[in-house]
Amino acid sequence: MADSDMIANNFKEHSVAEFFKKNRQMLGFSGKVRSLTMIVHEFVTNSLDACEEAGVLPEIFVQVEELSKDNDHYRLTVRDNGPGIPKSHLGKALGQMLAGTKFHRYIQQRGQQGIGASACVMFSYLTTGQAAKAISCCNGKRISATISIDFKNNKPIIEDLGEEPTLESGLTVIAEFKDVRHERSNHGVYEYLRRTALANPHCGITLIEPNNETAVFPRSVPQNPRKAFEIKPHPLGIGTHDILEFAKLNKENKRISAFLQNTFSRVSAAKVDELQGLIPEVDFKKDPADMTWNDAELIVKSFSKVKWIAPAMDSLVPIGKEQIETSFRNIFNPEVLVVTERSPKVYRGGIPFMVEVGIAYGGGLVSAEKRGEVMRFSNRVPLLFDNGGCAITETIKSIDWKRYDVKNFDEEPLAVLVNLASVHVPYTSAGKQAISIEEDVMDEIRFAVMEASRGVQKYLSGKRKAHEIATKKKVVERYASQLASDLAVLSGKKRSEIEPKIAKIIHDKYASEANEEEEAKPPENPADKAESEGGDEE
Amino acid sequence: MSVTSTTGKLETMGKGMVGQIDKGDGPTFETVLRTRSNTLFDEAIGCLRSGDKKETRKFLSVAQARTFMQTVAVAAKTKQFLKENLHTSIRGLFYQLKFTLGEDIDEDLFTEQSESNGLIEDLEVALRIKREDLNLTTDRKGFVAGSMTIMDKFGGDETLIDLAKQGRSGWSIPSDVDNGMEIKKCDAEYVLVVEKDALWQRLNEDKFWKKENCLLVTPKGQSTRGTRRLLRKLADRGLPVYCLMDCDAWGWYIYWTIKTGSMNLAYLGRDFAVPEARFLGVTMKDIRDFEFLQKLTIKAKDVDVKRAEEMLGYPWINRHADWVAELKEVIKTRKKIEQDALQGQRLTFVGEYINNKIKKKQWLS
Repeated sequence: MADSDMIANNFKEHSVAEFFKKNRQMLGFSGKVRSLTMIVHEFVTNSLDACEEAGVLPEIFVQVEELSKDNDHYRLTVRDNGPGIPKSHLGKALGQMLAGTKFHRYIQQRGQQGIGASACVMFSYLTTGQAAKAISCCNGKRISATISIDFKNNKPIIEDLGEEPTLESGLTVIAEFKDVRHERSNHGVYEYLRRTALANPHCGITLIEPNNETAVFPRSVPQNPRKAFEIKPHPLGIGTHDILEFAKLNKENKRISAFLQNTFSRVSAAKVDELQGLIPEVDFKKDPADMTWNDAELIVKSFSKVKWIAPAMDSLVPIGKEQIETSFRNIFNPEVLVVTERSPKVYRGGIPFMVEVGIAYGGGLVSAEKRGEVMRFSNRVPLLFDNGGCAITETIKSIDWKRYDVKNFDEEPLAVLVNLASVHVPYTSAGKQAISIEEDVMDEIRFAVMEASRGVQKYLSGKRKAHEIATKKKVVERYASQLASDLAVLSGKKRSEIEPKIAKIIHDKYASEANEEEEAKPPENPADKAESEGGDEE
Repeated sequence: MSVTSTTGKLETMGKGMVGQIDKGDGPTFETVLRTRSNTLFDEAIGCLRSGDKKETRKFLSVAQARTFMQTVAVAAKTKQFLKENLHTSIRGLFYQLKFTLGEDIDEDLFTEQSESNGLIEDLEVALRIKREDLNLTTDRKGFVAGSMTIMDKFGGDETLIDLAKQGRSGWSIPSDVDNGMEIKKCDAEYVLVVEKDALWQRLNEDKFWKKENCLLVTPKGQSTRGTRRLLRKLADRGLPVYCLMDCDAWGWYIYWTIKTGSMNLAYLGRDFAVPEARFLGVTMKDIRDFEFLQKLTIKAKDVDVKRAEEMLGYPWINRHADWVAELKEVIKTRKKIEQDALQGQRLTFVGEYINNKIKKKQWLS
């Protein structure tokens, strides 16, 4: 049973705080470094989503301050230039669990990943006893407040409310945390923001770390991505807990049959009858509000037994080929860069998804500390944790890199970006840091990586061969002058006449060898249309 | 137009390469493969020679460019030697060619003499010449005494040398007996080659060559190129060549090198072989025939027996029934004997022994 289902269920029975304390790791708060990264993730994704929805180019500022070394006490500031949050929603957005704007919407958005900013505010309150501070500049007003949580009733507590006029716009959240740690590791805030910048070239990010070092990841694309279409969820992507949530939020439908038809896509009256036929024990005339866990489970089961029309593909918003290329150039300045964008596919018989892969080699990566870096993303969100069981990691491991002239993947100046875009990303757990081993998804990742690898290989082997030919030419060239002088002695002809001719035959020989190399390449397969950018720039 | 002079051959080679370059082709150099697999025994002339397998070296090849350039450098340098009429050894040639290819090139034209030695052999084969024709000298070792006069043109002088008036030391065979050297008069009736200098000195003291009217030659062990060429020239004048060697592996080897040439110089073929040569002794039969010799035999070493077995496998040896019998006897009795043993009874016995053997035609082929 999915962890997230348990979470929602348990909310009813336990105090939120108690539940939280017991189940921190399930929400992603396991490990000090990971906890801080998760918190930054929650606030930053909220900011990005808000900016994009408002049509503003995101400019995010993050500061981590270390308040005390001894007990891992930090202050975190996250500021954006988004539309801000109106006073009326401020408490709900930051101080109430599961009250986010996204939970009931079926749209490819980042926020689906996490448990929400409220959980972070709660974490802050539980570890430090301090309320979080929020400054929201919205519609000409600058609202400042402290926000904490009434655990018993799962209600926000808003205090010290201030309001003044402003011309600015955006949200700032300042909160203190203990039991977290800042670290420049693969799992730390720096790496998270670096990768976020990579997958979101339309945003600018500034990070000030505890040692006062400022890292700036500038915007490289002056345009927000296309907005994701909000679509009704497809039955095949729905879990038991999701149905219960939707049922709870449902107001207009009086019966389960109507609820199913109006809430999910591709569910017609005929399909409802078909489902009812499969599970006669569930009363479809019942009010959705009275749906039990058992009912929900049976309905989800019946979904998988019926044939569905696939959901609409335009619900997917990839990063985009050009965007990946631009941001890779900005961040890595690689010698060669190949980006592959696969067309959308479905998994589990109906959930649309698409895979994008970028492979960068050499250039700025040569001096980078990391070798053979794999950067995983889902819906542009970097996945930093649990890389062991992730379909992306597994797929890349399974590729025979030697076939692509990459001798030792872990030691080459190579960076591989894989982004999985889907309305419903198949995560392995509620931590949402790894993609589960879905055959269809893995196949697509494999094809995409291989396609891009072919482009890199083409460049590498071309480069190697060109180098080989140039080396050969040099070897022969160094003997040309001596040969000319000896041939002059031997033949009685003038050295000055012989030498240029020797230079010419050497040049012609190796120029034609290079041409043959070019011609010997197999004709390009349309399926392999991975462009090698680096190769064309010479 | 056929070019016969060595200088002409070198020039033709250079012009050929320049012609290839003029046509836009990479220059090539064709030579005969000097490998064991391309060495064969020519039954018609009775010597070892190179087969027909050719090898083409290309300048436009990474693996061959350096060797090609070096070959041309050796050719050009020796052409200059010929023009200046100066001689040097192959070591001298190496030092003439050991220089850097250029200020900005961290490489020498030659770094090891072994590199140039092989190229000289390549030129010998390709141009059908001898290194002596390129004014390259080799070490001298052999000596001659006898009734023969020679005109030696050297260093601008012409010297008439009488080989009968060389006293106790004899005439030292030069490295080149072809260029600037001419046999003016030769009254000798045959050539006697003795393996060791000691025996040569013994026979010289007896004036053996005068009494027998022969040319007394010692190669002092293995024959030099000069000695082999001289023997060839003497055989060409119709003189029989008799050899007196130790009855052991080394003695046989020296004899067969004179007779059929060696594997290493097989490419030089008949010019350096004397298939007419005969092996007077010492033989296994001598041990049986002369009682005193029986006490002077030495136990054959493994190397001698092994060599005898090997020789039985060579087609140019096992075609001679007398040699097959001789070697089989060596293997069976495991005995060997030195030529010096012939002096065991009496110092002057050797001369009688030789005389007898020649008269009775008691030799091995």
